[in-house]
Amino acid sequence: MYIRQKLSLTLFALFFTGIFFSSSVFGQATLEEVSAASGIPTDQALIDEGKGLFSANCYSCHRIHSDWTGPGLANVWERWESQETLYEWIKNNGAVLASGDAYANELYEAWNGSVMTNFAWLEDNQVTALLAYIQDETVKGPEEVVADGGGGDGTSSESGVPSQYINLILIGLLVVLALILGVLVLIVTVLRRYIIAKKEDLDEEDQEIVNERVDLPAGLRSPQFLFIVVFIFAAVVAKSAIDGLYSIGVQQGYQPKQPIAFSHALHAGQYEIECQYCHTGVMESKSANIPSANICMNCHINVATGSPEIAKIYKAIDWDPDTQTYGENQQPIEWVRVHNLPDLSYFNHAQHVNVGGQECQTCHGPIETMEVVYQHSQLTMGWCINCHRETEINTDNAYYDKLVKLHESDDPMVVEDIGGLECSKCHY
Amino acid sequence: MKISKHWMWLLGAAGLSACGAGGNDPGVEYAPNMYHSIPYEPLSQITDKSAGAWVNSTDTEGLGEYYSSNPNNPHGMNMREPVAGTVRRNKGYLPYRIPADSLEYAGQVLVNPLDSTMQDEILADGKELYLTFCEHCHGGKGAGDGLVAEKYPGVANLTTPTYANHTEGKIFHVITHGKGNMQPHGSQISQGDRWKIARYVRESILGEPTN
Repeated sequence: MYIRQKLSLTLFALFFTGIFFSSSVFGQATLEEVSAASGIPTDQALIDEGKGLFSANCYSCHRIHSDWTGPGLANVWERWESQETLYEWIKNNGAVLASGDAYANELYEAWNGSVMTNFAWLEDNQVTALLAYIQDETVKGPEEVVADGGGGDGTSSESGVPSQYINLILIGLLVVLALILGVLVLIVTVLRRYIIAKKEDLDEEDQEIVNERVDLPAGLRSPQFLFIVVFIFAAVVAKSAIDGLYSIGVQQGYQPKQPIAFSHALHAGQYEIECQYCHTGVMESKSANIPSANICMNCHINVATGSPEIAKIYKAIDWDPDTQTYGENQQPIEWVRVHNLPDLSYFNHAQHVNVGGQECQTCHGPIETMEVVYQHSQLTMGWCINCHRETEINTDNAYYDKLVKLHESDDPMVVEDIGGLECSKCHY
Repeated sequence: MKISKHWMWLLGAAGLSACGAGGNDPGVEYAPNMYHSIPYEPLSQITDKSAGAWVNSTDTEGLGEYYSSNPNNPHGMNMREPVAGTVRRNKGYLPYRIPADSLEYAGQVLVNPLDSTMQDEILADGKELYLTFCEHCHGGKGAGDGLVAEKYPGVANLTTPTYANHTEGKIFHVITHGKGNMQPHGSQISQGDRWKIARYVRESILGEPTN
């Protein structure tokens, strides 16, 4: 009885909460009501036209419900004294500023003197369409913010199980199997004891089965078994020793921790920024170059400004995000060099990328998927030579005309044929 | 003693298998004297003066074989900025001196120095450069819809009438010094390449000029 009472009370409360919330929804002004007050039309064709204009011209600097490069535009028509000034402001803000309009100059001050682009080409009916769209969005209210996990979609969180967990899972499975084995042995022992104790009248065959014992120690001591074990062990050790010998002087897989956790997977992978945008030397110099911090700041003056990793860049170049000024105390960022070609060999990026037309990934591997860069290729001499034996020359260049004629062979002309295996090409 | 004899080679083999690189460990080097540059290598720096002292074959005044840091440069770096007032050899372009705030002036006086008889090559190069340096913000067709534009505020849609009357000089100036939220790109793109991009943007991205 008591429970029923409590339940009905809860339902009652829920009912009233529901009424309260729905009434608050009804309490918002409808598009018609807002339009009646603002005088901005509401027909759908106009709103659609305004949407197109907005995304092409305004969206880069304005959002509706929040400030962006410029102020948020919700209820913008209420902020201006007259519709005429607003229209004039949208089309030619410089003229309104010059006319001494109080609100225009107030805005100019509030936004640190940044000037809006001139849209003198907009027709009055286009401005009306823009305002109709803004009004429609204002009434709709801000969209639910979709939580951004930072990594974005798919690229950072690979599907499937990470490799370090696979080992743990395998070990877990082995433990479970060992436990099951133990339990089974226990059951067999208990059953055997039970039979021996209770059943005196077993015939001989059954007795033999019950009393049968596996003679493990003798099997383990047999020379055949010992030979197999020693052979397998020695083979595994010899294999790892030979692999170890071959890895001397080869830094393949070297993946040092960098002072700033820069992710190529994010920049080159998710946002598809070209390698050359930052590594500007690659087309014209020996080194591809590590980008200087001013290239980071091309975006990070405005992007991810609160991130602790970006704060390291700000600290290095002494940038104060609050005052938007650089200080004097600038320090180099000490990146750890990943690819260390021995000093005894010469390598030139421009020669391979600009002239040879090689992709970065040919040597650096799937760099656009690397959170932390590692050395993908061996960078051994054999590895270089292999590529020089296989890579065809792009002979679309008058320099090669006579060489192609002299190259009397059915095989295509490869780097080897123009001296790509000469010692002094790389060693001098 | 008998046991150690048998197991020594096993231990040695196990030791060898730890020679490979991985994580923070660059692995073991073979003939390290020939690996580390004696001259200053611009993109390397080892500030530890005793680094590699164990492979020293001659007297190096107490400095290790691997030590590589130029004490005459700021922060001991092996690279340094060009001497003030020097001009880079770059196919005859003199330093661009119109100040950042003179956008309108630059738009009026600057003329693209590229040879117009090579128009096809210029446009092909310009397109490639545009896709490298501009596309991630301004988008492949210039509509301000590159992937980075979602995060970066104020990326211009170059196809609107607002930009239809921009001259190549104005585009060149904006690439060099930036405008609004766009940061200067003069340090990344050579003058010749900037003019190629300006020609491509003027011819293939911006709308028809109205005057």
